[in-house]
Amino acid sequence: MNEIKTENGWLGRKLKRKEDYRLTTGKGSFIADIQKPGMLHLVFVRSMHAHAKILGIDTSEAESLPGVVAVITGKQLAEEIKLMPQPIVVPNIPAKYPTFGPLAIDKVKFHGEPIAAVVARDKYVAEDAAELVAVDYEPLPYLGDMEAALKPDAPLVHDQYEDNLQYEATLTGGEDLADQEANDAKVASIFEDADLVIKRRYRCHRCGVTPMEPRGVVADWDEAEGLSAWITTQRPHIDRLALSDILDIPAEKVRAVAPRDQGGAFGTKAPFYREPLLVCHMARKLGRPVRWMESREEHLMSVSQERDQIHDLEIAARSDGRILALRDRMIADSGDGCEGVYWGYVMPFLGAVLLPSAYDIPNCDIKLKVPFTNKSALTPARSFGSYPARFAMERAVHTVATELGLEPVEVRRKNLVTEFPYVTATGFNYDSGDFVKVLDNLVEQVDLVGFRAQQSEARKQGRYLGIGFGLGAEASGMASEVLVQMENQPGYGAAMVRVDPKGKIQVSDGDCSQGQGHETTVAQVVAHEFGISPDDVKHRQGDTESTPFGCGTIGARAGSYKLSAVAEACRHIKRKMSRIAAHDFSVSAKPEDFDFIDGEVIYRNDANIRTTFEELSYRIVMTPLNLPEGEEAGLEHTSYFEAAMPMVCFAAHAAIVEVDPVTGQFEIMRYVTSEDMGRVINPQIVDGQITGGVIQGISNCIFEEFVYDETGQQLTSTLENYKIATAADVPNIEVTHAPTPCPYTPLGSRGIAEGVPGPVPGALSNAVTDALEPLGVEINELPLRPNTIWKLIQQSRQAAE
Amino acid sequence: MYPAIIDNYVRPKSVAEAVSALVEGGEDALFIAGGMSLMQAIKSRMVSPSCLVDLQEVSEIKGISANGDSVRIGAMTRYCEIAAASELLGANEALVDAASHVGDRQVRNRGTIGGSLCWNYIAACTPAACLGIGATVELVSAAGGQRTLAVDDFLGSPLETDRADDEIMTAVILPAPSANTGSAYKKWGLVADALPVVGVAVLVRIDQEEVCTHARVAFSGLGDGPCRSAAAEQTLIGAMASDNDSISKALEAAAAELEVQADMWADEAYRKLLIIELGREVAVTAFRRAGVHN
Amino acid sequence: MYKDVTITINGEEYHEHIPVRMLLVDFIRDVAGLTGTHVGCTYEGVCGACTIQVNGEAMKSCLMLAVQADGHKVSTVEGLAQNGKLHPLQEEFNEHHALQCGYCTPGILMNAEEFLKENPSPSEDDIREALIGNLCRCTGYVNIVAAIKSASEKMG
Repeated sequence: MNEIKTENGWLGRKLKRKEDYRLTTGKGSFIADIQKPGMLHLVFVRSMHAHAKILGIDTSEAESLPGVVAVITGKQLAEEIKLMPQPIVVPNIPAKYPTFGPLAIDKVKFHGEPIAAVVARDKYVAEDAAELVAVDYEPLPYLGDMEAALKPDAPLVHDQYEDNLQYEATLTGGEDLADQEANDAKVASIFEDADLVIKRRYRCHRCGVTPMEPRGVVADWDEAEGLSAWITTQRPHIDRLALSDILDIPAEKVRAVAPRDQGGAFGTKAPFYREPLLVCHMARKLGRPVRWMESREEHLMSVSQERDQIHDLEIAARSDGRILALRDRMIADSGDGCEGVYWGYVMPFLGAVLLPSAYDIPNCDIKLKVPFTNKSALTPARSFGSYPARFAMERAVHTVATELGLEPVEVRRKNLVTEFPYVTATGFNYDSGDFVKVLDNLVEQVDLVGFRAQQSEARKQGRYLGIGFGLGAEASGMASEVLVQMENQPGYGAAMVRVDPKGKIQVSDGDCSQGQGHETTVAQVVAHEFGISPDDVKHRQGDTESTPFGCGTIGARAGSYKLSAVAEACRHIKRKMSRIAAHDFSVSAKPEDFDFIDGEVIYRNDANIRTTFEELSYRIVMTPLNLPEGEEAGLEHTSYFEAAMPMVCFAAHAAIVEVDPVTGQFEIMRYVTSEDMGRVINPQIVDGQITGGVIQGISNCIFEEFVYDETGQQLTSTLENYKIATAADVPNIEVTHAPTPCPYTPLGSRGIAEGVPGPVPGALSNAVTDALEPLGVEINELPLRPNTIWKLIQQSRQAAE
Repeated sequence: MYPAIIDNYVRPKSVAEAVSALVEGGEDALFIAGGMSLMQAIKSRMVSPSCLVDLQEVSEIKGISANGDSVRIGAMTRYCEIAAASELLGANEALVDAASHVGDRQVRNRGTIGGSLCWNYIAACTPAACLGIGATVELVSAAGGQRTLAVDDFLGSPLETDRADDEIMTAVILPAPSANTGSAYKKWGLVADALPVVGVAVLVRIDQEEVCTHARVAFSGLGDGPCRSAAAEQTLIGAMASDNDSISKALEAAAAELEVQADMWADEAYRKLLIIELGREVAVTAFRRAGVHN
Repeated sequence: MYKDVTITINGEEYHEHIPVRMLLVDFIRDVAGLTGTHVGCTYEGVCGACTIQVNGEAMKSCLMLAVQADGHKVSTVEGLAQNGKLHPLQEEFNEHHALQCGYCTPGILMNAEEFLKENPSPSEDDIREALIGNLCRCTGYVNIVAAIKSASEKMG
């Protein structure tokens, strides 16, 4: 680990987390722990069919069960609240935004779509009643294949449209059609003249990063106060606006709260969903608190599905390994596409934009189609669209190398972006970094030369060892210029810092935490800035009533945007404190002439001129007499931080595997990462984020898959079938760093952890491909299962005969 | 998620009380042992018992005891106890192998051998291990009658057994371990200790010349529930214990003979491969435990 | 439909009149008000977030009815620290950053506490195997294993 020391020593060092005491003693405050007197319990009735007309719903038996307070269906609800889409949760991107409500109205479009809801005084009784709701269906043909969905004769998922194509775009060549066509032609001509062209179909399966805590909502309504909603959300401020708009409640009477503790999210709690909307409406309608706790089954049926994508990818290269052009025809399976903010297709969209990744490929022709199918909509999963795109790109680069007889690492090195700022062929900005340094560090860590010798020896003994690399340049936070277009919301970081008369600090921001340790890293930043102890800092998030606007905990915003806003707010306050100190001490000093260190404020030019942070705070807040002209009392500031341009962080991963050629089973012998996170605030937290993200990536790659059968029944709605890696299934991860401080953030920090799973499938698949190179096996399809590997080995052997 | 209404819960203290409580409870009464399988079924409402007869205090059917010619395992003996039972090593070790890897340690602290056999879940390990060893089960009826039958005859199609509605399983009886007998069980699943995609149990007995004189080969994870392979058993009998060729042939014969299904976890060809490769490993272990020297 | 039960949780006796069908995890959370034990799956009982101890043995409280715990002693994470002093496991989890969101943590602590009593000097592989019944999504397990190993040495 690299430790970057600072004057106060609070940055770049491990600090035991403030959150842990309550979380290890059972005193966390999760959504399920919230109790409101008279709270009612809501249970959904969900569709048994993947695609069917609803001929009728009989709720009479359910309604008459003792303890049941209300039952509501889609038709009733459609008369009570607005349908989606609503502008607040629609991106500024032309696409199809289907009409839908929290409950299906005329037909259901995926197995598990909510049809009705039961509210009862007891949660067990609510489930009893839900079983009594009788739905009369007329099944319709199931559409489960994304390529079939694009055909003219495909069944329509949404009857309001003439086809199933939700979103289509050319991501390269600019906005203008003529420019795009010229670009396509240029790319085509490069392909014609290239020394090497490779073309492969890469397929990533449907999987995601379902967290240990499913979703939940507790909504409370008061005629005078309005709506208070506790929601497992990554973005309470956005939820508040959406609830206000859609339920027609004035915004000042809507309070959205992300619980202090959330059991992970990884993107699944970022969209604006059907369920919170309905629960809030029912609280208002009934005038009583209503609670919904999602079951794991509901969760696996209706959210967490991402990554499902096909890439028909071609690369044109020179014989020395320099990549000349890239052409990709991508298809992503949106499911029913019905969810606020992301609508299924936004993840593949960003994946397409980031497809060139860390490679300098000015000539690209990238096209994306995202059709609807009868599945649950794609919801964000950590790496947000990049997991399948990275898999395709990293496999392709590896194949370019092997076709040319070059080391895959060398081909990567040759093509990495080296000049910053850089704009990709898809228009995405990379601000800064040293990608080559990160890759070189990785190569040294894995001792590539030594490994190749080991591999060669092993092959003589009939053992198959392999090494594979994967890398990814990921967004370090999301700038407003990206987010306004993509999600109709800003990307700045905002934090309010308040110094109280005792020199203790309160910080609040409008994002929230699902395990990232914000309370701790924020305290470290504040301690660093003010020269005090992190123990003196209290951090609160997530309540729209008492925090500045925050667009949420998404896309690695903390290290990049939130902490930057915290630092700037501290610096603003420090400048004021310095000005007042200078005035009090009658020295003509600039604010930067005062050091805030070890609880004191000391004049740099004369160490005798000093006071304590606490005394100065008290003086400014409690005894604001004889202040300098124009200066107000109080020490509080809210900063809104926007970086000069969209920022990037970069990682390179390597996996070393041994494959058993008899069974196709493989073991990960080593997994090593090399990261540029800029200046690291808390290395233990950072390493934890990376380790966790890599294991998610491995689990996705090998074990997890959402499977729908030929009638659209979802077969993986329990953790028995949607298999998540246990501790006995995964290796230790070696995390190493090769940072370059970010010039655009006050601390030099970058956001991390969003993109961590992205390089994993490439690294693992390349490692297995490398191991089995003598057998001519290529892994181009996920999941990476022993059965698949075995079959490819058999096919390869038969072809050889 | 939540069970349907359950009217009654009783906790008998003896076998006689237990069966009579079951009968009194009516046709929707069920025994509950550890509940590791049954509670899943109750919570998913696959079953909705009106009365639960909890066997946790029927101490006469707990524990492992060995007398001269058999080993008796009370039906309410937990996996964790079986996993730690040194008296089961060697000849009956397939059961130890199976019990040590059921679910996870929390499940093993509660789940029981009787519960597993009476539930007869299609992919479960314990029934297949018992089939491989050649266990017998003891049942007692409400009328006070007692019978024993081979596990082969006890296990029916998935989730079905020969236990009558008024019977309780009291014990699983294993042959007394003999010095020249060994058994083993191993499963393969996608994640560690998952329900098996395929599991293989092998029991072998050898003579002075290390020739196999008796063999049982059983499988878990297959489409029709736990089963044996006569072809594999016959191939092993008469073969030299150290003859890897015969072992391979035996498992290949099993793979050829058995009906296997394709599902989310493996296609037919891969299941057959697992039968062979896993089975080979298990057979070698079983021979080693029987005392084979190479 | 209802039964009177006496369940001792963390040394305190609860005498309650409850539905037979009430899950033990709901008794712990809703009747006793101890919300440290969490629910993470439906009926499959795979995730382990609900793990507590009955008579000192780790079990999944979502796969038990409260009536099955009648007359028994239940231990939950709230009872792990004694007289304000954290258990070495709790300390080592903090030291080694063995939790991020903390949702799976109570279940792991209660499982690990029994496990270390049975296996006072476990290897890393022993620990990983012991954790099969506790899924974690955030940490990737590495620090959890290190924390348990470290606690075993401290308690050694």
